[in-house]
This record gives sequence, structure tokens and C-alpha cells, in this order.
Amino acid sequence: MTEDRSLEAFRDEVRAFIRESATEEIREAGRKTTSVFAPFKQAMAWQRILADKGWVAPSWPQEYGGTGWSLEQRYVFAQECNRAQMPPILPQNLQMVGPAILGFGSDAQKEELLPRMLSGEDFWCQGYSEPGAGSDLAALKCRADRDGDDYILNGSKIWTTYAQHANKMFALVRTSSEGKPQQGITFLLLDMGLPGMEVRPILGLDGAPEQCEVFFSDVRVPCANRVGEENEGWTVAKYVLEFERGGSTMGAWLVPAVERLREQCEQVDELGQRRLDDPVLARRLEALEIEALAVEHTEKRVNAGLKHGQNPGPMASLLKILGTEVMQRFSELQLEVTGLRSLVYDPGALEIGAAPSDFSEDELLAMPYYMNTRAASIYAGSNEVQRSLLAKAVMAG
Amino acid sequence: MQYQYTAEQQEFRDSLRRFVSDHYDYERHRQRLAKGEHFDAGLWQQWAELGVLGLALDEEYGGLGSGLDDMMAVAEELGRGLVPEPVVPVVAAARLLASIASPAQAEALLPSLVGGELRLSLAWEESASRGNPLVVQTRVKDGALYGKKCAVLGAGEAQQWLVSARNEQGELLLLLLAAQPAGLRRYVMADGRAAGDIQFDGVPVDDSAVLCRGDAAERALRQSVSESLLLMAAESLGCIDSLLSVSGEYLVTRKQFGMPLAAFQALQHRFADMFIAGEKLRSLLWAAFQQQGREGFHRAAAQLKVQLAESGRYVGQQAVQLHGGIGMTDELNVGAYFKRLTLMELMAGQRDDHLAGLALAS
Ligand SMILES: Cc1cc2nc3c(=O)[nH]c(=O)nc-3n(C[C@H](O)[C@H](O)[C@H](O)COP(=O)(O)OP(=O)(O)OC[C@H]3O[C@@H](n4cnc5c(N)ncnc54)[C@H](O)[C@@H]3O)c2cc1C
Repeated sequence: MTEDRSLEAFRDEVRAFIRESATEEIREAGRKTTSVFAPFKQAMAWQRILADKGWVAPSWPQEYGGTGWSLEQRYVFAQECNRAQMPPILPQNLQMVGPAILGFGSDAQKEELLPRMLSGEDFWCQGYSEPGAGSDLAALKCRADRDGDDYILNGSKIWTTYAQHANKMFALVRTSSEGKPQQGITFLLLDMGLPGMEVRPILGLDGAPEQCEVFFSDVRVPCANRVGEENEGWTVAKYVLEFERGGSTMGAWLVPAVERLREQCEQVDELGQRRLDDPVLARRLEALEIEALAVEHTEKRVNAGLKHGQNPGPMASLLKILGTEVMQRFSELQLEVTGLRSLVYDPGALEIGAAPSDFSEDELLAMPYYMNTRAASIYAGSNEVQRSLLAKAVMAG
Repeated sequence: MQYQYTAEQQEFRDSLRRFVSDHYDYERHRQRLAKGEHFDAGLWQQWAELGVLGLALDEEYGGLGSGLDDMMAVAEELGRGLVPEPVVPVVAAARLLASIASPAQAEALLPSLVGGELRLSLAWEESASRGNPLVVQTRVKDGALYGKKCAVLGAGEAQQWLVSARNEQGELLLLLLAAQPAGLRRYVMADGRAAGDIQFDGVPVDDSAVLCRGDAAERALRQSVSESLLLMAAESLGCIDSLLSVSGEYLVTRKQFGMPLAAFQALQHRFADMFIAGEKLRSLLWAAFQQQGREGFHRAAAQLKVQLAESGRYVGQQAVQLHGGIGMTDELNVGAYFKRLTLMELMAGQRDDHLAGLALAS
């Protein structure tokens, strides 16, 4: 009971902070986020505001800038940010490279890089995937050959989200072709724009560049930029995946999103009708809400288990599948609700600060969101691969 | 019982396929859309020369006098080639016009439609119509037109609009109006085709604009919209067949974990389900075609639209998924088919709308 009360007090504090500190531009970017990657500039501005407050990295150890919040508090924080439609923080800094350095970085790396990661002064892109290595990441070929105190990189990376905005990259590269493919991989940090490096943006289904190809020809990277030992990058990468145990907060996004969709359906249109009066649509909204709640409560249940020392194990795969698929179903229903009004393609009007267009944000957003959300079942370990992992783990008993 | 194209129709379709692949390859498609070119007057003229614009019109007006099945064959190839020109909407509108025009009007308009000089666009869909063309809020009051039509394909390229409206007595009217840019809000759709919303704020209409009224107008409009659903289904089959062939090829060539993706049973089954989804749509298309001229035609067309929504969505989404990251790019045609299928799912009534209509009627 007292715990609940203090959680509610915490919720009020978060709400008040968002109300007072988010600029109009950041709010606009949050509303106009058409994928899981928010518009770059505003997402980083919001990151800086949170960093100044000390709230940017809830899952990090406190001594390095974490908040020291309980898992419940972290969930409440995510809920409130989503309810207010703040742009999601780009995951590369705080959820990917940060944990790698926290777990395996040298003291010098920690001291130099962690504060810049928190503030967003550095923005990191993730150089894992390659044209021939996606689901089978261990098949990566981008080579790093030793030359004195340097590695020389040759090869390419693909699907590197926001590489065009990044000043740093963390990459998995091949340092040995002996033994199992996982054994010859090294985790490297590098600056973008080094001689011999080229970044080419790729246009997505909505016509906007979000991912990039990155090419390396004889790019020189000091060995001091390695994280962990040579040939042990796979261990680092696995640690990163496990770092945010119980960090899944998809339900904290879905529940308020369904709520907003319901509000949209309650509005009276030009003919005096409410979409919600359509019994079929009303039932589908109810069903979607149940799915969103299933995600939220599964996440909370996994968190509760963690408190009692349980490992999420296969539940991590389950949460990935469940969360992304409900997210996709949400995007489908949102598209159907918006219907004919979502046909229009007007990417200019989605730019932050664009002059008001003939079309409303709801109308402009539903289609690109629906299309971009198809990626959720592809990235971060495709849902097919997650299903195999889940089945294997659970069947064995 | 006709369940497939005749040998002659197949031949015609094959020749169209060559024309489409020569003029509408995907790279060119991308470049055109990047430059905002949704309509190419030169290509339009070629469509006219191929006889496609007059395919389903009487020979006395320069047409070929063919049936809806010939147009279905055309629509398939338009879908396969992601053709952005509004061939199907113009032809469908011309067929409707031919069915209601007086001999003098037919004489005056149809030959130039066949020749490609006149483009006509049918504006029936409204925000509340949800696939039912008889739900019409657009009104003629004191000799002026009020209301709004949505998602009108080819509206911006047309010189004349065919518009459905009701008069003050509630009687349905089909009007032929000169296209008026003032009320037209043009836009590019997510799949790169052009469309428009048309707002009528008191556009004057006199009696000469009324081509048809009452029961006759209702019958003609419903017939036209149901025919359009068949053409849409054929067009989406063109998209689905392409996605199946592109995906099938990808599964056997793309390797992960040292073997082709085709070796993973989960993906084999997925591909089989995509194929099944396509075949269901094809069967219902022919089933609806057989109902032409019969009482069950509108019902069959609505059922077809439900299947279009389901098959199109499933195949489109799964084709993207099977391709992984590359499926999410503009570079590959997979996403383009997915988008075109998505739009067809949303236009002319969604799945739930048609299901509701069907349930109500039975
Ligand atoms: C929007 C987006 C952002 C991304 N951002 C980044 C980034 O910042 N950095 C980065 O490094 N990468 C990034 N990626 C890449 C992402 O991690 C890969 O796309 C993903 O790993 C899948 O690899 P792939 O695209 O090569 O598909 P493939 O591995 O070729 O898979 C194709 C299909 O086959 C299926 N499949 C593969 N293997 C199996 C199997 N064994 N059993 C059953 N099915 C299988 C897959 O599930 C998929 O459906 C991003 C991807 C997307 C779409």
C-alpha cells in the first residue's frame, strides 16, 4: 500500500517534469514519430534534457549515471513518457554500446565515453549486420587485420540505423577465421568519417532514409578502441543483450497508444457519427486492449520474477515476439480506423516545424507507421529466430 | 463455368505483359515517382493505341467490344507492372458512361475516350460510404452541388467527372461535370499513384448534367462499382503473383546459417500459405465473374473484396518479412507491391465494411 502510494507520487513527479521541460518541438517530434526511431535532432534534445535531470539511463548502475529506480519506477517512467508522446530515446547509446563498455570497457574508455553517451554528445550507430549476415550474425565477414597497434578494416555493414547522424560506431568485426564463427569476432569502437569510410543512406518504404550502408576500405582503427579481448566480441554482444533484463516496456507504449486510438474513434465526424458506434470496430478495440494488457502484464510479471532472482530466460524471446506483434496489430487497426484519410503521402508535412498541411497528423501518420512497423518483426532478432529459440528452450523443459 | 482466361485472352495478356515490362520496369518506376511523374501522356497514348482504353466499349464507338474478363487480364498486368496511370479507373468510368448515356452523348464522348483524348473519372466514394455506393451524402440543392468525394483515382488527369449525388427528394443522380480544379485537392498516395478529394461547395448543375436518375442510376452505379471490385482483385492478383515469384526466388537463393532460407520449414510453410492466399482470391474472382448479370453479382463482388483485403494483406506483409531488412527498402519492388496492396485493401470499402454489408443483406 505505501509502496503504491510512493509509486503514485513518483508518477506525479515524472508527469510534472515532462510538462515543464519538454519543448513544443520535442513534443511535435514525439507525435510525428513514424517508426521506433524518433526524429534524430529532437530525440537527442530530449535525451539531453533527461541527462541534465539525471533520468536518462534508468537501467545503468547508479555510479555511472543510473537513476537507482526500482523496476516498477522504471515502468512508470516509461508509461508517462509514452502517455505524453515523448520521442523514444534512441537505443544505440544507452541500451547498446553503454552496457558493452560498462561490462567490458577499460577504465579509460569508461571515463571518456560514458558521460558523452549519456548527454548525447556522442551518438553511436550499431555496425553489426552485413549483406550476408543478418539472422546469422556470426557469419559476418567485415575484416579487421592487425597492423602494429592498429586494426585495418575492410568490408561493409548494412542496415546501420542513423549512421548518417552518428559520430561514432560500435562494430563487430572478424579478427580470425579459425574455430567456430563466433570465436573470431571482435567488438570495436570507431569514429565515423575516418579515411576510407563511406556512408550511404538507404531509403525505406516511407521514402525516408533511416538505415545506411557503411563501407570500409583500409580504415585504420587503434587497437585501444577494442572492447574486451580480441576474438571475444561475441561475449560482449551477448552481455549487451542480457543487460536490460526486464527492460522491456512495450506494453507501456501500447496501452496508452490504444487509449489514444479509442479517443480518435470517439470523435464525432462531419456527419455527426462516431467510429466507436460501429459495434465491430468497438469489439476490435476491446480485443486490442486485451492484447496490449497481456504485453504489459507479461512484462511486469517478468520484472516481478527478477526481483525474486529469476532469470527471464526464454521470456525475453516471448516478450520480443508478443510486443512487436501486438504493435503491428495496433498499426493495422490504426490504419483501418484512419481509412481513406490515410492514403495520402506527404512526407514534407511530417518534418518537424513544417507549415500546417491540409492533412491532420493522424491522417499523415497512420500509413508510414503501419509500413515502418513491419520492421519490428525483422530487427533485433527476427520473430522467426525468436520462435525457434523459444521453442528450443521451452520444449527441453 | 469459366475459371480461366481463354487462349486468346492469354495471348493478349502476354503481349501486354511485354509492353508493361518494357515501359514500367521497377527502376524506371522509382525514378518517375521520385520526380513526381504519376502520369505520362505519351504512355497514355500508347495504352490507347494498344486498344486497352476501348477494350470494353462497343465497336461502333471504336472499341473492341470485349468483356469484363478481358479487362481483368489487363488489370492483372497493370498490377504486376505497378502502372501508376489510371487505366482501370478511366475504363471503368467509360463503361459506366456507356451504360447510361443517350446515343447522342455516347456518340460525342466515347470515341474520344477510346482514342485517349478524353479522360473520365468516376467519383463515388465518400467518407461515410464504406464501400456502399448507395450511401451518398453529396446533394444537389437548388441547382447546385454540395458534398465531398474521397480518394478519386485519376481525378486530376480527367477532363470530365462522373459524380454520384442525391437530389432533395433523395433520388440518386449520376452527373457528368467538367473537371474543376478549384474543388480538387490532389495528392500522391503512398504507392505513388495520384488521387484527389473533390469538394463541391455549390457548383452549379443544370438538368443537362444529369445522365441518369433513380433506380436506373442505382443499378448502373452498383454494377460499375462491383465491376471495379473485380478489376481491383485482378490487379491485386498481379501484385500477389509477382510477390510470390520474387519471394520464391529469394528463398532459394538467400543463404543464412549455411543453407538457403528455403530449407527452413517455418518459411516453407509460410510460403505455402501465401500461395494459398493468392489462389483463394483467384477462385473467388472467377466465382464473382460467373455471377455477372445475375442476382448474386454484388454479393460475390463484396465477398471478393473481403478476400482481397485478407490475401493482399497477408501476402504483402509476409513477402516483406521473408525478405528481412531488404524487404523494408524502397530499392526492392517488394515494398512497392505491399503498398499498392495496402491501398487496395483500404479503398472501396474495407474488409469489415463489406462483411457488415453482407451480414445485413443475408
Ligand atoms: C528498421 C531496421 C533497423 C535496423 N537497424 C540495425 C542497426 O542499427 N544495426 C545493425 O547492425 N542492424 C540493423 N538492422 C538489421 C537487422 O538486425 C537484420 O535485418 C536482421 O537481423 C535480419 O537479417 P536480414 O535482414 O539479413 O534477414 P535474413 O537473415 O536474410 O532473414 C530473412 C528472413 O528469413 C528468416 N530466417 C532467417 N533465418 C531463419 C531460420 N534459421 N529459421 C527461420 N527463419 C529464418 C528471417 O526471420 C527473415 O524472415 C536493422 C533492420 C531493420 C529492418
